[in-house]
Amino acid sequence: MKFAIVVLSPPQAPSARRALRFCEALLAEGHELSRLFLYRDGVHNASHALVSGQDESDLPARWRELIERHQIDAVVCIAAALKRGLLDENEARRYEREGAVNVRAPWQLSGLGQLHEAVQDADRLLCFGGD
Amino acid sequence: MTTLHLFSRSLLLDAGALDGLSWVGSEDTVLLTGAAVEALRPGSVAAERLARLPAEAALYALAEDVQARRLHPERAVTLIDYPTFVDLSVSCAKVISWT
Repeated sequence: MKFAIVVLSPPQAPSARRALRFCEALLAEGHELSRLFLYRDGVHNASHALVSGQDESDLPARWRELIERHQIDAVVCIAAALKRGLLDENEARRYEREGAVNVRAPWQLSGLGQLHEAVQDADRLLCFGGD
Repeated sequence: MTTLHLFSRSLLLDAGALDGLSWVGSEDTVLLTGAAVEALRPGSVAAERLARLPAEAALYALAEDVQARRLHPERAVTLIDYPTFVDLSVSCAKVISWT
């Protein structure tokens, strides 16, 4: 079965960790994660600049590892990202903030249309937000 | 057609979550995660709100969130792990995330 997953909360929130655990479980069961979409404060999960405490799980690193291992289509909402200071190389150049790049592959910045497409394509859509 | 209603916010503090409860049908399934599991605390106001669910609706909660809060639910609830969470989302015809 095809899943699309939306993460709405930052990596510090338990719900972001739940999203990761759910994705790990669905992939372990042989299902497909057709698109992972970060929206609102969830875009912080794509930050390469985030530094986790030594006794804390590095959620952005765990997302990157999962995405690369399973070749997941991982999209960050570009409008939500720009508002929160998350920039890839193209956007940093466009807005003349060359030193502020903090979003890199495997994540890609794109629009809400990618979420709409994922909803149409997937059998199930689950959103992880809240506490 | 069964629906899985996924709750992750407090049923006491979040108006959207409370609204969600009213959409649960008698053939539906409810899964409490995160702060929503506080509704399993016996005698709490949130528990009273959970009591509004149709009696026939199946009630599940994510075990790790219940255990993290040291809750000992009095009402019938099935505690599940992540693989079962995935299975529930597959077996129900659709999922509504009340986030």
